[in-house]
Amino acid sequence: MAAMSLLLRAAAAWGARRAASGARLPWLAGAARLPGTAGRASAAGMRGAGRKKHNTLVQFSAPVRHSSGHGKRMFIIKATSFYDTRFLNLLRFYVLLTGIPVALFITYVNIFIGEAELAEIPEGYIPEYWEYYKHPISRWIARYLLDPPEKNYEKEMALLDVEAKKTELRLMELEARRLMRHRGDGPWYHYETPDKNLVDNSMKSTPDN
Amino acid sequence: MPEDRDWEAYKVPPTRTPVSERTTSVPNPIVFIQTVFNYVIDAPVTFVREWIERQQAKNKFYYYHQKFRRVPDLSECLEGDYLCFFEAEAQWRRDRMVDQEIVEIVRERLGACKQREGPNQFQNCAKEMELLAQVTKAYQDRYGDLGVHGNARTCLMKQKHRMMEERKAQANASQ
Repeated sequence: MAAMSLLLRAAAAWGARRAASGARLPWLAGAARLPGTAGRASAAGMRGAGRKKHNTLVQFSAPVRHSSGHGKRMFIIKATSFYDTRFLNLLRFYVLLTGIPVALFITYVNIFIGEAELAEIPEGYIPEYWEYYKHPISRWIARYLLDPPEKNYEKEMALLDVEAKKTELRLMELEARRLMRHRGDGPWYHYETPDKNLVDNSMKSTPDN
Repeated sequence: MPEDRDWEAYKVPPTRTPVSERTTSVPNPIVFIQTVFNYVIDAPVTFVREWIERQQAKNKFYYYHQKFRRVPDLSECLEGDYLCFFEAEAQWRRDRMVDQEIVEIVRERLGACKQREGPNQFQNCAKEMELLAQVTKAYQDRYGDLGVHGNARTCLMKQKHRMMEERKAQANASQ
C-alpha cells in the first residue's frame, strides 16, 4: 500500500513533468500516460501541474513516515460493538454476582459435608422422611422446605375425596330432579297457577259463542 | 452423580502371556511414563481425595431405600372408590419403575459379560443373553404398548386382553 502510493505519487510527478514539457510537444502528452494510471495521473497531474509550474526538479517525497513494525495506521470503519460488549459485560456481572457465592457454597457442602452413605434400615428404626435422600442439600430442602410425603399424599387424597363427594352429590341431584319432574310427586317442579275462581268462563258459558 | 458401575464385573481376567527375557539394555520407556504419571497426576489426586474423605468422615450420615407397604391392587378396588384408585395407581407406577430398573440391571450384566469375555462372548454369555431376552419380553408384554399416557387402568385392560387371547388359544389348541 505504501509502495503503491509512492508509485502513484512518482507517476503523478512524472506526468506533471511530461505535461509541462508537453506544451512544446503535444503528441507526447497523450502517449506519456501510463496505462493503468490514466485517471489518477490526470487528476494528480493537474495538481502536480498546478504546483510545479516552473520546471523544477521533482523529488519523490513521502510525507507520511511509516514505522517498520505495524504498517500504516488505518481508521477501520466497522459497525459498533458498544452495545454488544456492554450487554455481555452486564450479563457476566449479574450472573456471577450470585453465581459465584452459590458455586462456593455448593463446593463447600460437597467437600466438607459430603453425601450420605447407603445403609440398610436398622431393626425397629423408622427413618425420617428426609433420610431417604443422598445429597445434603436435598436432605435440607426435604426437611425444612417441603412437606413430608405422607402429608402430601394425604393432601392429594383429601382433594380427591372432596371432588368425589361433589361428583356424587351432583349426580344424585340430577337424578332427583329428573325423577321429580317425571313423577311430579316431589317438592320441586311446582308451578304457580292462578286460582280457578278467577277464571272468567263467560265466553264459554253459552253454546252459541 | 449417577451410580458407578460395578467395576469388578468388567475386569478382564489377567492375560497369560509369559514374561519375556530382556535382550536390550535400553530401559523400558513405559516404566518411565508410569512413574511420571504416578508422581505428577496420581499422587496429588489421591492425596486430595483422601483429604476430602477425612473431612467427610468427621460427620457421617446415612440414607436408606424406602420400603412401601403393599396396598390393594386396581383389580381389588370397588367402582367409584377414587382413593383406592389413587393408591393403586401410585403403587403401579412404583412397580413399573422397579421393573425398568430390573431390565437395566440385566442389560448391564450382559454388557459387563461381553466386555469381560471379549471374543468368547457368544459362548460364555449365553445365559445372560437368554435372561435379557426373557426379561425384555416380559416387560414388553406387561408395559409394552401402553404409551406415554399408560396408567394402571390401561395396563389392567391389556392384561385382561392377554388373558382372553390365552384362553382363546387354549380353546383352539384343545379342539
